[in-house]
Amino acid sequence: MENSKYDVIIGLEIHIQSNTQSKMFCACPTHYFEKEPNTQVCPVCLGLPGALPIPNKRAIELCILLGIATNCDIDKEIHFDRKHYFYPDLPKGYQISQYKRPICSDGHIDIKDIDGNKYEIGIERIHQEEDVAKSTHHSEGNTEYALIDYNKSGVPLIEIVSKPNIRSAYQAKEYANKIRQIVRYLNISDADMEKGQMRCEPNISIQEKGKWELKDGKILPIGDYKLNPKSEVKNIGSISAVEKAIEYEVERMISELESGKTLIQQTRGWDANKGKTIFQRSKETADDYRYMPEPDIFVIEIGSEDIERISKELVELPEEKKNRYIRDYSLSEYDSSVLTADRDISKYFEKLLLTLSSSFDSQKAAKMASNWITGAVFSISNDLKIDINDINIPIEPLSSLIQHFDKEGITRNKAESLLRESIESKTDLNQLLERALKEKETNSQNIDTIIEEVIKENEKAVSDFKSGKQATIGYLVGQVMQKTKGSADPNKARLLLIEKLNG
Amino acid sequence: MDKKTLEHIAKLSRISLTQQELEKFTPQMETILDSAKLLQSVNTQGINPMKRHIPFSDLREDIPKVSLTQEDVLKNAKYKEKGFVKVFGKIFGSPEES
Repeated sequence: MENSKYDVIIGLEIHIQSNTQSKMFCACPTHYFEKEPNTQVCPVCLGLPGALPIPNKRAIELCILLGIATNCDIDKEIHFDRKHYFYPDLPKGYQISQYKRPICSDGHIDIKDIDGNKYEIGIERIHQEEDVAKSTHHSEGNTEYALIDYNKSGVPLIEIVSKPNIRSAYQAKEYANKIRQIVRYLNISDADMEKGQMRCEPNISIQEKGKWELKDGKILPIGDYKLNPKSEVKNIGSISAVEKAIEYEVERMISELESGKTLIQQTRGWDANKGKTIFQRSKETADDYRYMPEPDIFVIEIGSEDIERISKELVELPEEKKNRYIRDYSLSEYDSSVLTADRDISKYFEKLLLTLSSSFDSQKAAKMASNWITGAVFSISNDLKIDINDINIPIEPLSSLIQHFDKEGITRNKAESLLRESIESKTDLNQLLERALKEKETNSQNIDTIIEEVIKENEKAVSDFKSGKQATIGYLVGQVMQKTKGSADPNKARLLLIEKLNG
Repeated sequence: MDKKTLEHIAKLSRISLTQQELEKFTPQMETILDSAKLLQSVNTQGINPMKRHIPFSDLREDIPKVSLTQEDVLKNAKYKEKGFVKVFGKIFGSPEES
């Protein structure tokens, strides 16, 4: 995507559905996924005459919390505005949003760029608004119609507008990823893009190098250069599609310009199956939303005690956590990012670490916890499709399993298969561990007998080994392991076998 | 207010006006706007909008309540199907506008 002639300029608009229990301006329930259509609707979200909106305190707290987490200035007053347009998904004829005074403005977050360096992405504003209804489009013969479900109408929606200082598809993807991580860490939203709880809409343009400048958050031409218009891409269903859609769009714009065509300002839709953006509509006339102050909602005053209370919900964010893991536990950067990418996983790691710390120094405990989580626990959670938490994969027995493994009581393979067995068969891991240790004890008493048996039963392999085929030893060790159901120490078995065979 | 502005506003409101209607309504709209302009002649410099302020704590707590039944919600819908509101055309139109 690096191009010698053009700079890529991207601004990203992200919408996040807050995970409140009730809607933004009425008490209807929010969780509409797989609910019967039009069963969570009242006169307010239906826009019936005379219905009055009353803002949800929690929703505004979550918006402020996101602003604090992204280094924004928080306004002292909250003003709502009406944004007018006519469409069946918006029964009032306007959306309650914020225009001139967003709750949060002028923030920033850091991302790691493709070259490994830190890059700061500016945040223009974060404001509070409401979601619209869900419409699905159908046709019957020549008749086209839409079916509308108002359950989604009025769900709190936070809009985050970046400054246009994103300069590559990679940066845009990292930024979206970071925002998702933050809102999940702070329990602001589940931010599942497939369910529409998070939506990303990039604005993209390409400009000739050296012919534009970024001034007061705006892209301005230098001299008599004429800026190329931007395109906005909608319908992006995943974080990776953010990157792909931008890459496609940049290539498309470059080839249009290079073949002598003029670009037009337009809205395009991302088609994930075809891997391309498709023209939806041109934006020759600027949107005319006829914003006006919302007369039905009072001005809401935010006091410093409110900000203080909300700030207390600010937990250690992934970036800080990652750096702490690297610094305090000497974990690798890679392991630290994997362990902090999801709040539940980092919680699990910290709990496991705590239980292991009673037996090991913290660096060793961290290393062990990290190895076990990124290895066995990830693979089990992946295979069995279960979330990683103390209920699904109990920490206390896992910790004693790890300790036995460390004392070389049992092999790593055996330990991992015990863990898997306990979860698959829902059996107490401590019981399985006890049984395995008992088996091992009996086996070690019997190991001589087992080795003799194996030697007797495998004449061919024994004579092969004696005539110099060293590799056969592996097969014989395997036989011993099978007879002891994996509880013998393979190294010890190997030594004993060699001793017996050479003796 | 000229005819073009009125046409634009009609389009935004998804109302179609005939040429005759445009001719008729333009001067009427003009009169309405002129009366409203009277308000602009008042000097409001340094005066804050008289909108009521409320403290943050007065906002609604996030507690969900039972809403209308589906039957009630659909009572005013001209067309419906399987619990959904059915619409044709760009707003709440009829089948012939599809």
